[in-house]
Amino acid sequence: MKQLISLDINGEVHELAVAPQDSLLQVLREELGLIGTKKGCDTGGCGCCTVQIDGQAVYSCMTYAMSVQDKPVVTIEGIANNGKLDPLQQAFIDAGAVQCGYCTCGTIMAARELLASVPDPDEDQIRHAIAGNLCRCTGYQKIVDAIKLAATNSA
Amino acid sequence: MSLTTLDNYFLPGSGSEVIELLQEYGERAMLVAGGSFVHGLAARDLLPGIDVFIDIQKLGLADVTVGSEGLQIGAMTRLAQLAKVPEVQDAPEWGAAKDALRYPPVQIMNTATVGGNIAAACPYFDLPTAFLAIGGNVLAQSNAGTREISLDDFFTGLFENSLGQDEFITELALSRPVPGSASAFIKLETNANDLAIVNAAVQITVESGICQSARVALGGGVNEIPLRSAAAEKLLKGQSLTDALLKEAGQAVQADISPMADHRASAEYRSAMARVLTERALHRAITRLN
Repeated sequence: MKQLISLDINGEVHELAVAPQDSLLQVLREELGLIGTKKGCDTGGCGCCTVQIDGQAVYSCMTYAMSVQDKPVVTIEGIANNGKLDPLQQAFIDAGAVQCGYCTCGTIMAARELLASVPDPDEDQIRHAIAGNLCRCTGYQKIVDAIKLAATNSA
Repeated sequence: MSLTTLDNYFLPGSGSEVIELLQEYGERAMLVAGGSFVHGLAARDLLPGIDVFIDIQKLGLADVTVGSEGLQIGAMTRLAQLAKVPEVQDAPEWGAAKDALRYPPVQIMNTATVGGNIAAACPYFDLPTAFLAIGGNVLAQSNAGTREISLDDFFTGLFENSLGQDEFITELALSRPVPGSASAFIKLETNANDLAIVNAAVQITVESGICQSARVALGGGVNEIPLRSAAAEKLLKGQSLTDALLKEAGQAVQADISPMADHRASAEYRSAMARVLTERALHRAITRLN
């Protein structure tokens, strides 16, 4: 039976009816049309669905919508500021860190938590921060370069 | 994650409400903490008949207290939160916990809880092995009150624990080892996101060059439950920890385990790796002494 809940997504509160088993990922994509968050493995193994809840990177596929009522959720759609891309988004473009693009949004959301707590990360810290995000195209080097670039540009 | 169709998802605000719900829904209900292993249970077809989730996040239970008796860790403590406790980061006696918390990706660290990690009784998890080596008690609440269950008795079978139907974990209390102790954990895995092929954790106490006590724990499919190796512990106690003895201890664990075979590894490989990891974990713990 669906229940009416409110979700705080990208600073906007949505009232919507969800089934008790609905994942946050499902609600984002299918109810709210926020398809920047990708569905990859749907079992918490690939990282495509990473969003931030209370500033922390989590897999939205293994997060129940019911469990995040009134907690601030930020998706890739919510990180640009007044039409200006987030430094990570811009750096991914500038460093050529996007190939097929499927993992990109999730990787940026994971990197975002890192840069919030470690403004000038070294390569080990970057690689550890994105260890939960699989990319089958880039070999990761350009992703690492992009995150370094974003850190430099934000300094 | 369309695992199962739920009839209801409850977010009770108190322990007594949790117990009432567990009593009302019985076999239909499952307690959820972080929820990160629900898909893992569903994939193993371990949720038949479950159509009610009881999410305990509103109970709090997320404090970590460091005291003279040890570490008291609330059941809802996320792994990331435990990893940030200064004592866990620095003190040699909690080294096994620190090591085990180094492996999971950040998304799992932010989601998975200490209570859920124990309650799942998954033979491939890392923290249960590390906690077994350190030693401690699980605190569980039910209508009858709160009781302590030794970690040594908590795991009863494959995904089975010793909690009663209306009982749930509120805290893990890790015992503070005596001065002169150190612990370490090592995991063998295929990639950053995967469950262990084998893991091993040890705690040793050394005084005047002699091992006063040793706890050796193995997990990751070396048995249906994580377990301690009595043979290895007996071998080490009262001895000087020479390289040759550590090698023997590695061999000794092989007598106490009954490894499973699956897509990750054969039983023979698990046995061989249990020997290697035990020896390495002992070396790592020794480097942390003093």
